Amino acid sequence: MYKKCALLLLALVVALSMFTGCKKETGTLKIGLEGPMTGDYAYEGQGFEKAVRLLVDQTNAAGGLLGRQIELVVEDDAGDPTQAALVAQRLVDAKVVAVIGAYNSTATEPASAIYNEAGILHVTPSSTATRLTEKGYQRFFRVCFLDDRQGLFAAQFANEVLGVQTFGILHDNSTYAQGLAEHSKRYAEELGINVAFYDAINPDDTDFTPILTNIGAVGLDAIYFTGYHAQGGLLLKQSGELGLDLTWMMGNACNNPELVQIAGLANAVGTYITTEPLPKDVDYPEAKKFVTDFEAKYGQSPDSVWWMMAAEAFNVIRYAIEQTKSTDSAVLADYLHNTMKDFPGLTGPILGWDEKGDRLGTIHLAYIINDKGELIVNPQQPTK
Amino acid sequence: MQLLQQMINGITIGAFYSLVALGYTMVYGVLKLINFAHGDMFMWGAYLGLTGLNVAVALLARTSPWAIPPTIIVVLVTVALMGVLVERIAYRPLRTAGRLAPVISALGAAFILESLARNVYGASYKTYPTGVALVGGINLGGARVGMMQIVVLVVSFVLMSALYLFVQRTRIGTAMRAVSLNHDVSRLMGIDVNRIIAIVFLIGPGLGGVAGMIVALYYGSFDFTLGWAFGLKAFIAAIMGGIGNIPGAMLGGMLLGTIETLGSGYVSPQWKDVIAYLILILILIFRPTGILGEQVAEKL
Repeated sequence: MYKKCALLLLALVVALSMFTGCKKETGTLKIGLEGPMTGDYAYEGQGFEKAVRLLVDQTNAAGGLLGRQIELVVEDDAGDPTQAALVAQRLVDAKVVAVIGAYNSTATEPASAIYNEAGILHVTPSSTATRLTEKGYQRFFRVCFLDDRQGLFAAQFANEVLGVQTFGILHDNSTYAQGLAEHSKRYAEELGINVAFYDAINPDDTDFTPILTNIGAVGLDAIYFTGYHAQGGLLLKQSGELGLDLTWMMGNACNNPELVQIAGLANAVGTYITTEPLPKDVDYPEAKKFVTDFEAKYGQSPDSVWWMMAAEAFNVIRYAIEQTKSTDSAVLADYLHNTMKDFPGLTGPILGWDEKGDRLGTIHLAYIINDKGELIVNPQQPTK
Repeated sequence: MQLLQQMINGITIGAFYSLVALGYTMVYGVLKLINFAHGDMFMWGAYLGLTGLNVAVALLARTSPWAIPPTIIVVLVTVALMGVLVERIAYRPLRTAGRLAPVISALGAAFILESLARNVYGASYKTYPTGVALVGGINLGGARVGMMQIVVLVVSFVLMSALYLFVQRTRIGTAMRAVSLNHDVSRLMGIDVNRIIAIVFLIGPGLGGVAGMIVALYYGSFDFTLGWAFGLKAFIAAIMGGIGNIPGAMLGGMLLGTIETLGSGYVSPQWKDVIAYLILILILIFRPTGILGEQVAEKL
């Protein structure tokens, strides 16, 4: 019985592959989506599918891509590396033209090796581990940014908008915060800013008055805290209580309403936060249309920036196929590496990719806490 | 100027450590037991203070510092009763069970209290209602002393002095000192040892609870791990000053707060614990019973 079933399945697979094989030019154009549809990150994975499905339906309704209908092949990797390798192989076997995914770097890494072997164009919306683009895979790209981009943005913002000459940077020794602090320091110094204060707090502490007293004595034009919001709030509160006249900038881990609560409104007002734009604040017409369409279709707004990134990944692939009139991954990858520039992306202009496949430019925005305690986009932004 | 400011910062932290250290030291004095649950009763003080302030603000129909005094009394009484309850359930049945069992029981009580707080109030950071804590401050020769810092220092000084006088000058205080010397002889002298221990478990946790509320009022935000963070430091302060000794706890707390602050201000926050504990180890090498541990012959 089992054998029979397996035979039948085999026959079915063969028949199906022959079917797709002979209709290659006129049949559907398959695009793979690999993400965590179940498990801890299911929220993000399911959002990926919603975002991409919306765009696929829109493209198909408008006549498809190169005259062919797009078929979205969704595979669930559950955020797990073993599962990711299995489903990556399934997508390769399904003969997809390109793959969007995965969500987390741990799952993206084994999958990217398989796509690379098979020569499939692979775009990750959200995996930020540096080493993913260090392997020399020619067909692997990111639409998200590494933390060094945020560091660059923070340095540019301090330099251009705040006119900072003497800068301070404070982190909390976590991998993320320390990385962001190091990048910010490097870029600030490249811009000719004097980084006169660079130190770390211990995130287990609640009293930061000793280090704040020191910071106050240096005479900084601005200080950038790259750690998390609980400590950020306390820093703001205690700096206010010490009567320090400091201009605070904080990184994207402080983009949290609790920051204002912990700091107290009076101490939080005027704090700048560098972060990826919230979907509601993305000003580009493409993005606004996407958000409206998304709400119309699903009755909820795209709350996660990573959902926007998944949609972005699809748009990039679609655009490259349209422009090159090709589904050959070598042609597409070459187009992304060398030709595609200044594409109006959903998350911000896409300036292109470097030779490793990392997205150029930044999409970060500087937010400011207004006198109602709301996080609003700062009117002045550095020219990119 | 910076040194003066750092000293003020240090004494404020030190006052918190002292208040909490008193609870460890009093219990150790009468029972020779490290009450690990003390830090978590302190943390409960912060949570009960939050509830109390919210109720007080609702009753007053405005946020005002006048919500603080009634809340302090409620917290003092509630946490004191909590202390007696913990003693009754977790320590008294084990009083003759050797040294290890009560310590483990104390750790168990600590975990129970911590988990209870997390389950009741949730794991996220809690903030006190704004407008309750006093704002502003005064400049003192270039250094700034916040109004809340003054409140903290005054409240701690008053509480600690009152406690010291209570232990030294009253009949119950004398009985406490007798119990800390010897349970059996005290009983022969007609002292109700269980009652004295219960009183110690009223006062220690009560003060700890008030300290928890003041810490939360001062820093504005906290979560359920507050007890571990301050409890451990306060415990160390108690040892540094000489455990079992009330002025020792005050001295140890102030000393630890100041050393930490100076280490973090003049070296780096990442090195402050290394510096503080090196000094602790040196103190213990030269005075194994703590700074005031020997000068006062009777404990507590």
